[in-house]
Amino acid sequence: MSWLHRLFSRNQLERDLDKELRFHFETQVADKVRSGLSESEARRLTRLEFGGIDQVKEDCRESRGTMWVESLLQDIRYGARQLRRSPGFAIIAILSLTLGIGANTAIFTLLNAIMLRPLPVQNPGELLLFGDGSAHGSTQGVPDGSTRLFSYSFFHDFRQKNISFSGIAAVDSSQFATKASIAGAAYETTHVDLVSGSYFSVLGVPAVLGRTISESDDSAEGAGPVAVANYAWFQRHFNGDPSVLGKVIRIQSHDYTLVGVAKPGFFGITVGQSTDLWIPLSMERAFSRPGWNGLGNKLFQSLDLIGRLKPGVTPAQAGAETNLLFKRIIRSYLGTQPPQKHLDDLAHARIQLMPGGRGVSPLSFVFSLPLEILMTIVALVLLIACANIANMLLARGVARTREIAVRMALGASRGRIAFQLLTESALLALIGAAAGVALAWRASVLLLRMATPGPDPVPLDLTPDLRVLGFTLGVTFITSILFGTLPAFRAAGLEFTPALKEGRGSSSASARGVMARSLIVGQVALSVLLLVVAALFVRSLVHLSDVNTGFDKHNVLVFFLDSSTANLSHGTADEIRSVRLQEQIESSVQNIPGVQSDSFAFFTFNGGAWSDQALFLGVPRTPQNGDQVFFDIVDKGFFSTMGIPLVTGRTFTSQDQQNSPKVAVINETMARRFFPNTSPIGHRFSIGETPDHPGELEVIGVVRDAKVLTLDEGSQMAAYFPCTQSPGFYDNFAVRYAPGANKQEIISRVRRSIAETNPNILVNSISSLEEQVDRSIATQSLIAQLSTFFGILAVFLSCIGIYGLLSYSVARRTSELGIRLALGAQSRTLLWMILRESVFLLSIGLAIGIPVALTSTKVLKDLLYQLSPLDPTAIAIAIAAVACMTVAAAWIPARRATRINPVQALRTE
Amino acid sequence: MKSEDRFDLPQGTLDLLIMRIVALGPIHGYAIAQRIQLMSREALQVQQGSLYPALHRLEYKKLLVAKWQPTETGREAKFYDLTARGRAYVKDETENWKRLTDVVGLILKGTVEGIS
Repeated sequence: MSWLHRLFSRNQLERDLDKELRFHFETQVADKVRSGLSESEARRLTRLEFGGIDQVKEDCRESRGTMWVESLLQDIRYGARQLRRSPGFAIIAILSLTLGIGANTAIFTLLNAIMLRPLPVQNPGELLLFGDGSAHGSTQGVPDGSTRLFSYSFFHDFRQKNISFSGIAAVDSSQFATKASIAGAAYETTHVDLVSGSYFSVLGVPAVLGRTISESDDSAEGAGPVAVANYAWFQRHFNGDPSVLGKVIRIQSHDYTLVGVAKPGFFGITVGQSTDLWIPLSMERAFSRPGWNGLGNKLFQSLDLIGRLKPGVTPAQAGAETNLLFKRIIRSYLGTQPPQKHLDDLAHARIQLMPGGRGVSPLSFVFSLPLEILMTIVALVLLIACANIANMLLARGVARTREIAVRMALGASRGRIAFQLLTESALLALIGAAAGVALAWRASVLLLRMATPGPDPVPLDLTPDLRVLGFTLGVTFITSILFGTLPAFRAAGLEFTPALKEGRGSSSASARGVMARSLIVGQVALSVLLLVVAALFVRSLVHLSDVNTGFDKHNVLVFFLDSSTANLSHGTADEIRSVRLQEQIESSVQNIPGVQSDSFAFFTFNGGAWSDQALFLGVPRTPQNGDQVFFDIVDKGFFSTMGIPLVTGRTFTSQDQQNSPKVAVINETMARRFFPNTSPIGHRFSIGETPDHPGELEVIGVVRDAKVLTLDEGSQMAAYFPCTQSPGFYDNFAVRYAPGANKQEIISRVRRSIAETNPNILVNSISSLEEQVDRSIATQSLIAQLSTFFGILAVFLSCIGIYGLLSYSVARRTSELGIRLALGAQSRTLLWMILRESVFLLSIGLAIGIPVALTSTKVLKDLLYQLSPLDPTAIAIAIAAVACMTVAAAWIPARRATRINPVQALRTE
Repeated sequence: MKSEDRFDLPQGTLDLLIMRIVALGPIHGYAIAQRIQLMSREALQVQQGSLYPALHRLEYKKLLVAKWQPTETGREAKFYDLTARGRAYVKDETENWKRLTDVVGLILKGTVEGIS
């Protein structure tokens, strides 16, 4: 009979045991009767010899080895009964645990999804990423410094020469949404990744249907017009029908054959992005991207590389070899006599190999610090909740003194009682954890939406996985130990005889008091810390929202357009057609009632940037003017649409045509850095560190500074060019409308105007400029909101603690207070007597909490905008809030003390 | 039945005694107790409090197997029998015991002679 069997056939075993022992007993009696004793005498003697039959049974049960499970179940049942008997305590405890554990699980779920979870590929631990994966798009020129993007030529040359990696995969770093149409159906937004032929084999991702992209698809330019689908996309579009292999998918204006479907659960290597289709890098030219020349230019660097280490090669060895080869290969691209500058740059260039098993996670750069801080905050909140529950359990321990004393008197060991009390705590924690996981599941999705607002949700799998559940279980265990141990040991450790004698015991009250008071002091200290943090974040957010953006964010709509299916030409003289198309749309929209001005632009606020250095003719390079300049390509109406005021000179007009002299408008910072004392109007400059055509652009105007990427950026140099002179289709279309105009009406009429001008120009999304500004500080406002929420929660929990402690002490001192009243004590004196205790605890809590806050908020420095981590206002707000709430919580029991009826109080004695 | 004739069993020997008795053929708990008392010429009396837990422990260790059978009086009793493993156990342990008592006897004798 196996152990499990014994555990589950308990009833059968009990019956057998009883029967066996009864047989023994009866046979013994029968033997004695046979030897001449009377029946009753025989029974009496046998019973004497037998000893306690229940003791024998208990020993037999012990030998089954299942007793501990049975007693555990008994403890759980008993614990559940105890909790049901005091529902108030159970509800408060479970609720605070649900919030505490739920918040921890929710934040950890995000942390796990963004920073910890490995890709669903073969042996993710063997993968190394070249660079940290923080760059997207393309860069040209000789690499210098830490290199993150690589050219197609480099990928091929490196692959052949290296000996550290068993394979290297390349993927275009500029993940973007484009348009695709299946078998002639309407175009829809589709995420396409350009990948090397080695991509699937190196990652070890097999096809679930058909085949993946192979080396032959990527062998020569245009060699593989094939596509591999993501399983979820395939399910969504074809309901898993395998006969669709061979179907033609039109991506932009090129046809691809669907050759396979990748294994379920694989979404590409970028965390927070879900690739719908993979096509070979050999098809890059078929993609319409102005200025993209990845296959032709050896220094056009746009790829992320990820390599799989050969067995036995350490990352350090691979790093050494990679850097050696990197310099040798790039040097071979520079020709026989490169400028010294290029050689110097190359000397500084290096590749940092990073663990690649978690893929590329752009989200982790933005969210790792905020998530770590939030994780700390919620852990502290849970700690406060634990202190509260420990305090309530201590109080219950005193109330249960009699019960425990009785159980001890009946033979329960101290250990057994402590274990039973711990089981009760664990039960509480487990119920809280179960509710917490359910809460976290919803909350983490909500948090992600709050952190990354925008038209498309970030595809991040937030279903709790084993790691999350393990974390929660660990937290639950630690939690129950934290709040359960102290009260359990105290309860079990007390001497039971005096407790029995005293009845409703108060013997351990003073020791309990010290412990309860220390817990409260700890809670106050932690609350004040959390409130200081919250106040800092809120004040920083207020500063950020008050930043002068330099543009007028009100009453502006930005339409994000997609022209990839319009078959516009790129890189040819015909490109001016795109500009004409834009002008048609602009003038058509201009006629809509309520529209004040409109303009196409390369970028609008927070939407990306193109930057490089600039050099003016006749102005020496200085550290001030050597910074990056942010460039934008705009149309005539841009400055009035964005509300950026002109300082001197003029903005673009219809005279600035393709063949007229090239002109530019610069901002005040750029003007000041290059011409601190004179006007820049009429001066000439060029783009680049050492421009090919020096001075080809003439400054015609200076405008006020406007923020480019973020609200917290410093003064940046910026220059604007007219789109007639840098032709192309620029997909940000900004429309300013009159205040009070009907926004929805304008949106639908703009849509109609665009569709009428060219039905192949698609509107991807629409947002207001205000939304764009808000979105740029979404992380900061999320942190401010969450830290405030948790700070208030922390104070609230501490107040419950103080309220509980004082209510208890007032209740205990009822008769004393009654005597004092009867002897003529003023109710104000009594009020102060009770309040004094809470003020005392508050002061100690503040005395501990404020220094801790002052020393620990330094870590927040990078997250605060124009605010010192020691901001006195924030600290004052926190102290005031904690003090008010604490005194308010103490006030209620203190008032109760003054309302005691002395006659009644004395009668109860 | 004088108490000074009785002595406590050294630890672990009860298991061997029980197994030895059971080796003679299927037998129930009461009879085992009787048989030990009888065979030890009343020197050993096994308490129920030790007998049954030991029997159950041996059963769970798969050294004994139990079956409910009617006795000569017609009542159902739990009869214990050796398993193959139990037989091997009895053999090994009996030899061990003999060797141990021989060695202990030798030493005790030697010491006594040396002192005297």
